[in-house]
Amino acid sequence: MNKNPDKGYIALLGWSLNAIEAAENFDRRYIVVAPEWAEEYCQQHDIPHVSWNFERLNDRSMEIAETLKEMGVDVAIPLFEETVEWAGAINSLLLDNPRLYGQSLLLRDKALMKRRAQLGGIRVGIFEEAHDKGDVIRFLKRVNQTLLKLDGDPNDPIHLKAFDKAGCLGHRVIRTPDEVDTIPDEEFPVLMESHLDGWEFAVEAWIHNGKIAFLNISEYVTLGYSVFVPASPELEQYRPQITAQIEKLIKTFDIEFGLIHPEYFVTSDGEMYFGEVAYRPPGFKVFELLERVYGFNAYQASMLVFDPKSTIEEVKAFFPKEVEDAKCYAGCFGVYPRRRVVSRLEIPEEVEDDPYFESHELTTPMEETVTKRTAFGTHWGLIYFKGEDPHRLRDLLKHQEELDFYI
Amino acid sequence: MTTNGQMQDASQTLAGDDKLPGLLAKFDEATALLGESRDFAKPGKLPRVLDTARRVLLQPGGASALEFRAKALEEAGVFQGSDWETPQYLLPSLTTHALKSPNANTVVIEALSELRLLAVAKGDYVHPLISTEQAHHYLTQAMALNLWLLFGAPSEAERETQGRLAQIPRHLFHHLAERIGYEHIIDKLIEEIWRILQQRPIQVDAVKQMITQIAICQANPEIDLGVSGQGADRLVSSLFGPTQACREDPGLEVYRERLSSMDNAALQSEATGFARAMHDTGLVSAYHPVLLRHLLDHSDHLLTEALGLSSTGRDCLLCYRELVHALIRSAVHPPTPQAVYGLALMLERGILYQPPVAPAMWRQLGLPLSEWSQARLNLAFGETISPRARLLEGVLCMLGQPLGVGQGNNPTCQSARALSMWAYNDPDYLLQMVAWAARDDEIIMHFEGQAISSMESLGGVAHSLPMDLDPVSLIVVPHLDRIYAEMGRRCVDREGDPHRWVNPEFHGWWSGRGFRINVDVATGMLHEVDTFLRHFYASYHPYYNGNQPLIHPQPAGIAVTDSAARFIGWHAITVLRVSLDPTDVMRVYFYNPNNDSGQDWGDGIKVSTAGHGERFGEASLPFEQFASRLYIFHYDPLERGELAQITQEEIDRVTVYLYRSWGADRVPASDLQADAGAGPGHG
Repeated sequence: MNKNPDKGYIALLGWSLNAIEAAENFDRRYIVVAPEWAEEYCQQHDIPHVSWNFERLNDRSMEIAETLKEMGVDVAIPLFEETVEWAGAINSLLLDNPRLYGQSLLLRDKALMKRRAQLGGIRVGIFEEAHDKGDVIRFLKRVNQTLLKLDGDPNDPIHLKAFDKAGCLGHRVIRTPDEVDTIPDEEFPVLMESHLDGWEFAVEAWIHNGKIAFLNISEYVTLGYSVFVPASPELEQYRPQITAQIEKLIKTFDIEFGLIHPEYFVTSDGEMYFGEVAYRPPGFKVFELLERVYGFNAYQASMLVFDPKSTIEEVKAFFPKEVEDAKCYAGCFGVYPRRRVVSRLEIPEEVEDDPYFESHELTTPMEETVTKRTAFGTHWGLIYFKGEDPHRLRDLLKHQEELDFYI
Repeated sequence: MTTNGQMQDASQTLAGDDKLPGLLAKFDEATALLGESRDFAKPGKLPRVLDTARRVLLQPGGASALEFRAKALEEAGVFQGSDWETPQYLLPSLTTHALKSPNANTVVIEALSELRLLAVAKGDYVHPLISTEQAHHYLTQAMALNLWLLFGAPSEAERETQGRLAQIPRHLFHHLAERIGYEHIIDKLIEEIWRILQQRPIQVDAVKQMITQIAICQANPEIDLGVSGQGADRLVSSLFGPTQACREDPGLEVYRERLSSMDNAALQSEATGFARAMHDTGLVSAYHPVLLRHLLDHSDHLLTEALGLSSTGRDCLLCYRELVHALIRSAVHPPTPQAVYGLALMLERGILYQPPVAPAMWRQLGLPLSEWSQARLNLAFGETISPRARLLEGVLCMLGQPLGVGQGNNPTCQSARALSMWAYNDPDYLLQMVAWAARDDEIIMHFEGQAISSMESLGGVAHSLPMDLDPVSLIVVPHLDRIYAEMGRRCVDREGDPHRWVNPEFHGWWSGRGFRINVDVATGMLHEVDTFLRHFYASYHPYYNGNQPLIHPQPAGIAVTDSAARFIGWHAITVLRVSLDPTDVMRVYFYNPNNDSGQDWGDGIKVSTAGHGERFGEASLPFEQFASRLYIFHYDPLERGELAQITQEEIDRVTVYLYRSWGADRVPASDLQADAGAGPGHG
């Protein structure tokens, strides 16, 4: 696509073919900042790029920011959790706003993030950092004491998460002190949280000029397995409260622009609890779902709101109206093999024959023995569904959990 | 069985009719997304196209719809970056492998490529890289090479690896054949059928199915076979009208009536007609049993004629007249016509003269079958005839065609080899095994004095019960397989290859206790190749063993290689005899339990099944070529030949073949060092 020299020049931090393709088809100039292994591929396909090793921040870190600045780049967009603080560092130079780096660190550390949210008057569960197994046992006991449990009552579970990993990576649920022994020592330190009974959902909000430009609610059917957009009417009825929460978040974290991806619980009495927030595209291909539903490219949306040269009118014209403009409901399900030994992929006929079934990204297993799942693990691929009825879609997604895709 | 398969297909057709338009809409959407995307992003869009194509191909009319979209598909970039991008270099012989793949994407992209070439061949798509004629030629070859897809239902083995995917190649090839025309493949098909029939397999259902397809094509006025299909006449007539009185395939009832009004001369002519057709092809028409049963009330002379017996067979029939009559009454029915051929060949072999065989056959005639055996036989062969008659047919065929035993698509070559060897060498032992298995559901064999029961043993080599077998194998193989595996388990602690002990105990006393292997079991590397070969020559080669013909069939192990001479796996065979062929080449004649022995083992080694002095069911290779693929053999240590006389030159000719094929990456490091050390300037 022809590039508009009057608009911003954007750096994409991290390697994502979908993002590159979106950039290629958008009127902003762009450059990919990716690890060295991508260099040959970029040359082969004429993809503008700079090689950079994101492994760790060091005293050469300013070098990439300087390079991009010299090239005339206006802003950097993080595509993955690991590039969020890089974007903060680079943007603080490019946009001459040192606070952006501090903000990105806040958004990278789950414990800091929660504290900041708490300071901003946002409701969060009980949380603490743990440095060893003893901390976990103490926290488990204390949480359950607080809940007035007697000895012998089943404990309420607690959640353990890595400070700085995306999504469900490293997420564990602990119910008894025995289970604490199963945590490898190298996973510490971790963040511990009390369990919140409620309906968990996520939000993708594009922010421009400190205001919400588009707010999507993603409904989890089962955490780590399935999600669909837009949310069902039952969850969408909370949209005004959710919007208010997001505005509070924007204010608390002082976010002027960009894409945020927070997670919340709503309890049965309508109270919202903040889980965490990420400053990057969500996992589980929610971007692709949004494109199926609304027709806009979510990567382009991010480029638009990050670009300091975008106008308010331009942003307004880009986004459709939430829910009203949705053409259908789209969801996806992450497949985990259910057997210990699998030999091949076979999509159950009932799935394939379902009119809501669209496509899948599953591949033939490379190994026969399935690695035992620790924590929440990573799924083997996604299956996409779309259809008219959110409840049928939700039930369908739930039902997938009982099926074998690898046999 | 075949009609069942077709009916299932038909029912899927009805149920699937309404799905195609929806799927095509999804497919067009996915193709458009692929087409619009940049080159670098295409790999990410391809899986959705391929997966949707897979679902389309499962639908009736799906192949046709995709053929219509061939150009758009290729332009969208489906083949980009893969071997299929340059169709002018594609090899028809590789299609078989791709279509059998458990990987859905491989099967689908191969199918899409064939459909694209079909569009090119039909002139609907002008391709920059391949001409109409080239495409046509390619497709004809591909179809001839994959005839099993046109006429066979998926085997159990295919179902196991491919599941529902196995339907796709079939739908594809039916579409290809309809569009290209059966006439182009029919000659190739006929050639193939004759090649298989020359090996005289016991199981001929697949062949009969192919011939039926040819007959249907010939009878269909809309199919123009042109000048092709001439060689099919003998095949078709042998099944549907081998004689004057059934030439027009009148139906069994009409034929029975015609027989009742025939005089002796007419019956004589019918009898010779059937016998000629049967011995020409190894196939028996369903009319043949009608005649045979009719002749039971006439004369033994006509019976002999109808079986096409030589003087040996006739003597045997007359000597055991009662038994033969009883066998015909029990085993020979229109649904079991092959029993006739089995009976004729069994009589020709004269094995009834061995004292225990005739009484054992009487036992077989009255053998009560266990419920399990009856259920297995009914499941595999249907209920058109009693399980006992079905098993009896199987017994006659196995005794008549001991080298026609096939292992099906199962890893049970050892058991198939044992059955064949017993039928060949020790028929009453085979009958004993059948009786134990079919009546008692248990076989007990002994391993170094310890009894092994097939009931108590754990699993066998095969993971599931094999179904695609002849009646005897169907009943006996599951037992043998478990016993064989158990014998192997009892040798796990021993050093070296377990076949050393298992083979003689499993197959029979005549398997030599002397044992040689040229592979080191622990490392998989070659081991003492020269000594191995010298002993093989000294034991088996008539020039070095005192011109002693091989006395008993001997189990041996082969390293099977593919047509590119790459190692595929270890395989059990039987060495039957070693002698000069009509052109004075010393050949090893052997039995291969694999269903089709005519294999190309690469590097110029093509296993011959006819034309080099082979008897029905034998495979053969020149001695040197055979030796180069051999890795295990047994011999009698007391009857060793002249080791010293074998020249190094002769041994070297074998090892050259060996190192060029399966031995290429099995040369032990020590040999390599020795070689390298000899080279100048090394180290």
